[in-house]
This record gives sequence, structure tokens and C-alpha cells, in this order.
Amino acid sequence: MIKLLFFTVSLTPAATLLGWGEGLAWPLFEGVRLTLDLTPLSAFFLLLLAMAAPLVALPMLRGTADSPAFVLFGLLLLGMQLLLLAGDFISLFIGWEIMTWSSYLLLLRSARTDLETAQSYILFNLLSAFLLLAAILVFYRFTGHFEIRTAAGLTDWQEILLALLFGLAFLTKVGTLPLHLWVPRSYDQAPDAFSAFLSALVSKMGVYGLVLLPTLFPDALAGLLGRLLDGPAAGYLLAWIGVVTSIVATFKAISQEDMKRLLAYSSIAQLGYITTAIGVGSSLALGGALYQALVHTLVKLLLFISIAGIVLRTGQRRFNDLGRLMERMPISFFGVLIGIIGLAGMPPLPGFAAKYLIFVSLLDARWLLLLAAMVLASTAAFVYCYKLIYAPFLGHANSASAKTATEAPWQYLVPQLVLMGLLVGLGLFPGLGVRLLIDPVLIALQMDPLGSPSWGELVTPYGGYDGVVLMVVFGTAFVLVTGLFFLLRGRMRRAGSPYDLSYAGEVPTAETPLHYGAGMGRELRRIPLVGWILRHSTQGFYAALVRQTRTAAELLSGFYSGNPQAWVLLAVLVFALALQASIGGI
Amino acid sequence: MHAVLDSLAMIGISYVMGFLFYGFYRQFNARVQRRWGPSIWQNLFDNLKFFFKSETLSHGPMFFFGPMIIMAGAFTTVLFVPFLKDSDWLQGFSASGNLILIIYLLVVGPLGNALAVGSSGNPYGVMGVTRGLTRLMGLEVPFFLGLGLVMLQHETTSVHAIMAAQHDVAHWGILTNPIAFAVILLPFIATQNGSPFDVVGAPVEVYAGPRVEFGGRLLGVLMTQNMMMSIAKLVLVVDLFLGGAGNFLILILKAFALFLLTAAISMVFPRLKTEQAVDFFWKVPLGLGVLGVIAAVWLPWST
Amino acid sequence: MALPLTPIWFVALPLLVAFSSPLWARLRLLMPLLLGVPLTLLVLAIALHPLVRTAPLVETIVIAPPLGIHLQLDSASLLLIALIGLASALVAAFLWLGDTEAHLRGRRAFVLMLLLIAGCNGLVLTGDLFNLYVFLEIAGVSAYALSALRQDAPALEAGLKYLIIGSVAAVFFLFAVVLIYLQTGSLSLGAVASSFGEIPGPMQILIGLLMLVGLGIKAELFPFNFWVPDIYQGSHPAVASLFSGILVKAFLFVLFHLVFVLLADPEVIRTWLMGLGAATMLVAETVALRQQDLRRMLAYSSLGQVGLVTLALGFGSEATLAGGLFHLVNHTLVKLLLFLLAALMLRHLLSVRLADLAGLGRVMPLAAGLFVLGALAVLGLPPLSGFVSKLWILKGFAEAQVLWPIALILLAALIEAAYYFRWIKTLYEPRAQMQEGRPLGHWVYAPVVLLAGLLILLGVAPFLVQDLFIEGAQSLLARDVNLEAMLGARP
Repeated sequence: MIKLLFFTVSLTPAATLLGWGEGLAWPLFEGVRLTLDLTPLSAFFLLLLAMAAPLVALPMLRGTADSPAFVLFGLLLLGMQLLLLAGDFISLFIGWEIMTWSSYLLLLRSARTDLETAQSYILFNLLSAFLLLAAILVFYRFTGHFEIRTAAGLTDWQEILLALLFGLAFLTKVGTLPLHLWVPRSYDQAPDAFSAFLSALVSKMGVYGLVLLPTLFPDALAGLLGRLLDGPAAGYLLAWIGVVTSIVATFKAISQEDMKRLLAYSSIAQLGYITTAIGVGSSLALGGALYQALVHTLVKLLLFISIAGIVLRTGQRRFNDLGRLMERMPISFFGVLIGIIGLAGMPPLPGFAAKYLIFVSLLDARWLLLLAAMVLASTAAFVYCYKLIYAPFLGHANSASAKTATEAPWQYLVPQLVLMGLLVGLGLFPGLGVRLLIDPVLIALQMDPLGSPSWGELVTPYGGYDGVVLMVVFGTAFVLVTGLFFLLRGRMRRAGSPYDLSYAGEVPTAETPLHYGAGMGRELRRIPLVGWILRHSTQGFYAALVRQTRTAAELLSGFYSGNPQAWVLLAVLVFALALQASIGGI
Repeated sequence: MHAVLDSLAMIGISYVMGFLFYGFYRQFNARVQRRWGPSIWQNLFDNLKFFFKSETLSHGPMFFFGPMIIMAGAFTTVLFVPFLKDSDWLQGFSASGNLILIIYLLVVGPLGNALAVGSSGNPYGVMGVTRGLTRLMGLEVPFFLGLGLVMLQHETTSVHAIMAAQHDVAHWGILTNPIAFAVILLPFIATQNGSPFDVVGAPVEVYAGPRVEFGGRLLGVLMTQNMMMSIAKLVLVVDLFLGGAGNFLILILKAFALFLLTAAISMVFPRLKTEQAVDFFWKVPLGLGVLGVIAAVWLPWST
Repeated sequence: MALPLTPIWFVALPLLVAFSSPLWARLRLLMPLLLGVPLTLLVLAIALHPLVRTAPLVETIVIAPPLGIHLQLDSASLLLIALIGLASALVAAFLWLGDTEAHLRGRRAFVLMLLLIAGCNGLVLTGDLFNLYVFLEIAGVSAYALSALRQDAPALEAGLKYLIIGSVAAVFFLFAVVLIYLQTGSLSLGAVASSFGEIPGPMQILIGLLMLVGLGIKAELFPFNFWVPDIYQGSHPAVASLFSGILVKAFLFVLFHLVFVLLADPEVIRTWLMGLGAATMLVAETVALRQQDLRRMLAYSSLGQVGLVTLALGFGSEATLAGGLFHLVNHTLVKLLLFLLAALMLRHLLSVRLADLAGLGRVMPLAAGLFVLGALAVLGLPPLSGFVSKLWILKGFAEAQVLWPIALILLAALIEAAYYFRWIKTLYEPRAQMQEGRPLGHWVYAPVVLLAGLLILLGVAPFLVQDLFIEGAQSLLARDVNLEAMLGARP
């Protein structure tokens, strides 16, 4: 019963999206009025939410009903809807904060969450929230209103200050370097199904904010520091931040030994692409950013839910402890397979369409160095994608539980199937995605729509491609090749045992370490650049910050001795000094 | 009907051309090393022999489907590269594709095969795949940057448009954009799995590599796709830098010339370790590429 | 004779009831009355609201000229009176329903608490300095005794320490009053205010500083607040909730009431007050980071919030004043909630140290949930009331184009979050076994849940009460009207 109710609650974003009528308003107090309205941009993100909420809710339904988690999830959805529908900054902030604390409390529902993770999660997110609040107040000081609409008549410096504050707030949420400390650990330790939501949706709210910025200051990116090549100079900086984030996070992802942690770093990297695209700021780039946001949402939901299924069935999450699950969990295998193809941006899945748009927009802005850097990140991503499919599903089963696991329960499989369908459909019809989802937003942002002549075609001024033709050619070729193969004479024989291998002239046994697992990508450290990246981390800096604060606290608490004499003495002393100072001053 | 015939022709041409080119390579290599070497047809015969092996060992369904995926990927790649310009023939489906798509298609198949390697359960195979991906990570950056320079030069990602812009010798990409050609040349050799970047499939000293578990017909499939892919890449570079080809003969000539160049380079350098190769790509070709970008974009006189 | 609805009842009723306590004790009406009296006062305050809106009520009871009791009820003091009534009613309900320790339900506690209420109400209402001193002592003495009520070593130590520091504060304040009397020859606030400007400058500063130190000690401002954690930790949490919820608020109010009435131009002291507020806030929040005892942590957090309110009120624009008053109310509600929860935890688990509370979420889910709610409200996270008041204050600063307090307040909130969330995390620590003390009844939670409901209500629909705060802020700022009313009421 509770579960049914909960599932209904998870459908509310969809209901909001479909049933939204007039704008709403709620007077908060003197001079502050909350207004809610649905714009095409918020509709886009609301659609993501509407899609993801029930899919994440389904796995949460398994097992005994965890009512507090259900309530918190409901609150989280409420907060995010508020955030997206906000017509003024106060509603945006309220939604933002509700999202922050309810997701934090959901994080605590996992038994694995440790103090450091919880603290870093909430502190970074509150830092982001307070930066946002500061930005909102500065905005209010400059313009005298809280509404989210174009701010006119600001001087350059005011715009820079605002862009900086808003930008930092949203980038923290997105998990950009060096503000990403909280991301890997919290995605890793959160309840398994909820990780999907964190990575797919909660982080997108930062993206929503970043996309919102150009609407606030239409020329800010371009007008701020002038133009660089064919793009905005301020955006160039943002784009580099995004790309560096992607590169570093990708290499970190490769070196992870835990599935969820790898996905967390990959999430940072993928959002880095979006940041880059937003930095470019042209309509092609924003289209690419939105497309990437859409694909990343689908892919990360799919991957995290599949991984959650594995963890549920095996209790293992480290690459070393899994293996050979392909035959035991075939649907999950296909889930992860489709997921990594989307993640790697391979044609014919829609990840390629997103990457294509972003690449072309970089070409269009003539930012070739950024293009090269982004290619580095997205090619290196192949390594971790392969690790993600190889270590759990292929190779040899490396633990007792991996040898006996069964397919994930239906609550995990249904979302996977739905998401796989969506990804494949979107890959076939990239033009449809552009037409239905991207163009309305671009038009609302007063940019040129991308346009698409047919469902299957993705078109840019630099040329395009046809998803249907591609898929048909590939599919036909595959069928043809497989058919031809069987027409040839000769028979196939299944290897007698998994140890029937060409193993350097020896005969491996069950004791031979045959699973490459976590070792994959270890030799990458020998490449100087990669080694340098992997040796460095921001952890030390934050640890030092915490240490300093603690020392300060210790020092100050010295005042609060339990000694009344000291109190009185101090009071009199301060009194005397103040008197001396002020009378002497006259 | 036209499309079917055209596709079959492209596949057939790339198949035969590939094996003959590599047959020539072995012969050429042998002569450089003062050996007699095998016949030009040797590779083709080897391949045919594999196809008619009576028994093939498999390690499960994915092990079987991997080579099928890579083969389908090779077909698709070939079909998305236009072989001729200003012609109805040998176009495949290249009108529906573009340069960036082709670059990505080049990797789809190998990744599909990587699944099969993983499924075989041989750690050395997986090690080979990882090396391959690592090398890819290294070479793709300068390769893409070089092609980016070309795409920027012509302001399009369409291979047809780039070909059309090179209407005479003076407008060939290799002359109008020599830096881009220099940038992609070495990564291009690496994409062909050519020496000195051939540690992934290392023939002699490492008992490893992606193909370690494959045999019989599956190995035949893998060899075939390799040859076809090579031809697709050669033709692509011909299209981009050597002005494309008006007819079949010119295509073979230009492709062969390019092949000869790469083969000559391959022959004289010792093999690099994976990490050395990656480091090299990120230093020399990429550095050259950065210079190219500076020349093409950043300097005041560049448009 | 129909009893006139005059402000005097706010002081007189608790005093009368307190002095006739033997009777109530015999009739076993102590607890109902302890709840009833503040409730009556609350109702009375609400009833007086329409009257006060039009003009401040001023009442003078002449004892022997020039001595008399001047009481002045304006919108701001009405707010405080209502708050005191509400808060003490809730604490009383908690003591009654919660089946608390005997010493808190006895006659002595009954008398002391009513005295505390009377003292606080008097502090808020009084219109002359001598009575202010008297009420200060009444409130102070009852507070000392309340903190020592349990009569074990920590409680007695707390009481003694409180007594010492309280007396020092009173001495400072008394000095200031004496100096004022010597300089102006009058003790009525109205008269003093109108002639305060004529006192020579250095003397003004001396008086001002004396008052600031005296009231600063009482109102827990840095660097005069070192006593606070010890006292709060030593006292029973319910008592501490009264200190933090009522007593400090009354003193804060007195401080600002004096500032706004005495000084023609409050701006001269603005920097001082804001500086004190900011220092209090930052120091307290930082120190709270390392606290291991819930009561002590709450004490520091309380100091931090007092600093915030001081910062807001000290700035003295209408928006920050209104926001500050609202925050004052919110903070009272929140700290009542948290301290009462601490009392429950203490009773159930016999300890409120951080390490001993790990896993509380399983044993006392409701308490842990409410603690989270309270923490969110303190931190000013929506949709709880703390958010609205904080936003109001911040908006006030933004309107006035002053940005540094915004940065400090947000920084302090971040530090505050660091320790509150550490506690929350600990509460939900997965842990197998916990030692448990006495079981709690269901009714225990009633006042606490009511508080939580209020926090949510005020957070979602603050427009219901916004007029109260705006009027309060206006009446604090309307020095001329106040002076006129006070002077006009002089015999």
C-alpha cells in the first residue's frame, strides 16, 4: 500500500508536466512573492525528472518499505519541481535547498555512508547553495527584484561579479574541478538506486542553472571580456574548466577499483562536456549541451540501476570480486552494454549525436585546442567503459557470490528495459529528439533552432548524419555477416572448460589469477601526463582546510574556560580598553 | 538495387585491395630486409584458408558475436567512406554520414570485438585490448586535431564537400594544409596498426594481444575486417588530402602511393611500448598540431 | 470592578500566582497553573493587539513621585510578551506532560519559573531605568536558582557561576543607572531620553559602555558570553531552553530598546553593535565545531544566533529589524525544540554526548527526526521558518547595499552546518545496540511536535504574521512617537 502510494508520488513530476496550467504565485512575506511557471527550458529538465523519477522509484520499492526514504524522495521531487518551475530566484533557492537537504538525508539511509562523505556532501552543496543565495542577493541589490529574467542596465563589473557567484554555485553542484571532492564518495556510498538519481538528475540541476545564466545576461558571456576567436572569451575559460574536469575525471575513473566510484567519476567527466558546451554558448553548443544532458541522464540511470542490480545480487561492488556475470545476468549485461555505448558516445546511440553537436560547435567557434582536449577525454573514456563491462560481466567469476548470482529482480529490470528502448529509439531518430526536445528550448532562449528535415537526420551547418540509415546499414551488415558465417562449412565447438586457454604454454587452473579486473588501466600510470594526474588530488587541500578550522576552533574555545574569575576579568578588561579607546579618541 | 550493387562492389574492392596491399607490404618488407618474402597473394590465401577451417573453438555467444560486430563495423565504415568523387558509383551511404561519424565508426567494431576478447577469459587478450585502447587514446588526439584543421579549413564535416573543394592538384589538401597532413600521418600509421606503433597485436615477442584466443573462421573474419578497415582509412586520407579520385584507377594509384609512404616509414623505426607511443603522440604530433592551430586560428593574419 | 486589560497584568499575574503558591500546592494545581498563567498572558497579549496597533499603551502606577512604575506596551514589546507567554507555556506543557524529574515539578520550580516570566515581562515592558534594574534582578535571581535547582554538583556549580557573573553584570548596569540619574536627575526612560543628548560626550560614552557590558553579559554577546556554555550544560535542558528562549531574548530586547530610545541617532553605535554581533556569531559557531556534548553545542549555537540577531537589529533598518525580530521568535521556537529534545534524549539515554547518541535514529526515530527538523530550521533552510527570517535579514542588508554582513552570515551558516550535520550524521549512524533508560510516553512529544508544526507553518506561510514584525520594527524605530507617549503619560 505504502509502496503503491510512493510510486504514485514518483509520477507527480510527469503529472506536473502534463497538467501544468496557469502560473502560480504564493506570497511569502513583505516584498517576496514566489511565482511558479513552466518555461520550455524548465519543461525540458522537468521532462528528464518526470522520466527518471518512476524509474528510480521502482528499484526502491524492492524489499521492506523504507518509509522515511520514501518521504524524503517525495520531498526531493517536490524540491526539484519547485526549482525547475521557479519564476523567481527565491523559489529557485527554496527548491535548491529542499533538494540539498532531502538528498543528504537520503544519502544517510545507506549504511555505508561515512562521516567524511556525509560532511563533504552537505558542506559542498550548502556552499553551492549559499553562493547561490549570495548571488541572488547581489542580483537583488543591483536590480531591485528577484525575478528570473534578463537583467538590463548592469555595468560590466556587476555582470562579472554576478556571473562569478552564480557560476561557482552551479559549478559546485555540477562537480567541476576542483569542487568535485564530494561527488565520487557520495555517489559511491549512497543507496544504490539513489546513486542513479543523484548522478542523473540532481547534478542536472546545476546544468539547468548554468543554462539559465545566458538568459539572465544574454551578452554576458560574449560581452564580458569580449570575444575570442569565434566565441565568447569568458566562455572560453568556462570551456577549459569543463574540459580539464573531463580529462582529470576520466583518468581518475579509469584508475578506480569500484564500480560505483568509476561511474561517479565518469559522471563528473560527462558533466564537464556539458560545461564546455555551455561555455561555447552558440545555439549548436547549447543544443549539444541539452542533448548531452538528456543522454547522460538516460545512460547514468541505466548504468547505476544495472550496477545496483549486480550489487543486490552479489553483494560485491569491486571489479576484482566480480566477473562472468554475462550468462547469469544477461539483461543487466545488455543494460550495461547499451549504457557504455551511450556513455562512450559511439554511433549509432544518441551519445554520438550529443558529442557531434558539441564537436561541431567547437569547430564553429574555431576552438580547436579545446576540441583536441575533449577528444582526449572522450577517447580515454573508452578504457573505463570497457572496464565497466569487462570486469563484472566477462572474464572469470572471481568470488563465490559472483558464481551463484541470478538475474536482478523485475523492479530493476523494467527500468533498464525502458531506458534501453529510449536510448535505442533516440539513437535511431536523433532528429526527432532535436525537433521535440531541443528546438523549443533554443527558440525560447532566442537562439536559432537546429532544425531537422526528418526524424532520422541530425543537421548542422557543418553537415550531419542520418541515424536511421546508419542503424539500418549496421544492422543489415551484422545480419549478413552472421548469416554468411553460418553458410560456410565447418562446425563451431564450445571450449571444454573456461580454463581451456592459450596461456603462455601453461595450463591454467581455478587457482590461476585469470580475471584482469581492477588491474585494467594500471599501466596507464606509466604515461607521464596520466601518472601526474593520478598522483595529485584536491583531498589534501580540503583536509588541511578542515585541520585549520579545527585548530581555530580549539584556540577560540580557550576563551570559554569554566572560570568565572577569567570571565569577569575579561569583561572588565574589555570595558576598560574600550573606554580608553573611545574617550582617548575624542 | 543500385545501392546494393554499389555496396557489394565497395566491400569486394576493399577486401581484395586490402589483402593485395598487405601482400605487397610483406614482399616489400622482405626485400628491404634482403629476404625473398612471400608472394603478394599469400595474405589472401591465408585468409581464405581460415574461412574453410573445419573446426572453430568458441568461448560462448559473446565470443562469437564480437567478430560479427567488428565485421559489421568494418562493412559500415567502408560504406560510409566515399571511394570516388563526382561519381554515382562506389559511394555507399556516405551522403548520410560525415567525417566525425567515420572516425567514430572506426572504433565501434574494435570495441565490439573487445567484448569477445573479454568473454574468452584470457587475461592476455584483455591486456591487449587495454593496450589497444590506450594507444587509441594517444593517437586519437593528434589525429582528430589534424582532421579538425581540415574540417575548419573547409568549414564542413562532409567528406564530399572536402573532396569537391580540392578540384585540382594545387588545391589538394596536402598542399593547402600540409601541417594537417603532417599531424595526422603518424597517428594514421598507428590506426593502421603499423610499425612502430604495432605493440597491440605484437606478432612475435609477446604472447598476447586481442586475438590470442581466436582461431579458424573467427580469425579469418578478424583478418578480413582488418584489411577492409585499412582500405577505408587509406581511402579516407586520399579523399581528404590527395583530392579524392575521379575513377577507380586513380583511386588505386593514390591509395597505393599513400600506402607506400606509410610502409616506408613503418619499416625504419623500432617498435615503441604502449606508453612510449602515447607519450610520443602527445608530444610530437600533438605539438605539431598545436602549432598548426596557432598558425591557422590564433595568429592575426589567419582568418 | 471589571479588571481593566492593562499591561500591568503581564507582571502582576505571575507574581500573584507565584506568591500564593502554597495554596496551589495544596490544591495540586501547580502544573495546570504553570501552563495556565503563560497561556492567559498569551491570550491577553493577543487581545491587546488591536489596541496596541493604534498607539502604544502606557501605564504609570505612582508609588511616590518621582518613583513609580512606568509600563509601556508597544508593538515590539507585545511581540516579546507574546513570545515569552508562548515559550513558557510550551515548556510548562512539556514539564507537565513529560513526567519530568520531580524537582522541576515541585513548588520551588513553580515559583521560580513564574518569577522568571514576571521578570522577563517586566524587563520588556518597563519604562524606567530603576524598575529595569529591579526586573533584571528578579529575572536574574530566579534564573540562578533555576539552574541550581537539581542540587547536585554540576547544577550547583552552574548556579554559583551564574550568580557571580550575573551580579557583575548587574553592578555594571547599576553603575550606568546611577550615572544617568546623577546626570539627568530622572529615571523615567522618556525623560532620560529627551535629556540624554545634553550629557557631556565622555560621560555618554562611559554610560553607554557600562550598559553595553552589563547587558552584553546578560544578552550573551562576545566577549562577555564565556559563562554561557557552562550554565547551559549544568542546568536541566528544559531550564536551559527557557534561558535561551526567553531570558536572552528579553535582555536583547532591552539592549536594543534602550539603544533606540536613548540615542537620537542610533547610527553612532551601529558599528559597535554590528561588530559585536558578527564577532559573537563567528566565534561561537567556530567553537561549536568541536563540542562533544549536545547541551554545550546548543549553547554555542544559541550564541551564534544571538550574534546574528544582534547584527540584524544593530543595523537598524526597517527590514533587518523586522527580520531580526522574526529571527528572534524563530530562534526561541527552535531552541525550545532542540533543548526539549535534548531533555528527552538525556532522560532516555542518560547521556547527550556525541558518541553516546550514535544510532539514536533507530531508538528514538521521532526525536531524531524532530532534531533534524530543528537543525534545518536553525540553519535557515527552507521550507522552515528560519529560512524566511534569515532571508528577510539578508534582503534588508541587500536593500541597504551593505554586503559584508551577508558574506559573514552565510559563512557562519556554513560553519554551523558543519557541526549540525555532524550531529545528524551521528544520530543516523548504523549501530547495533544502544543502552536505554526510562521509556517515554507518547504525550511527551506533544509540545515538541507542536513546536515543529509552528516552525513549518511559519516557514510556509510567514505572511500570516509578517505584520507583527513590521509593526514591531516600526515601533522600535519611531522614537518620537514613543517619547511622546511616555512623556505624555507622566503625572
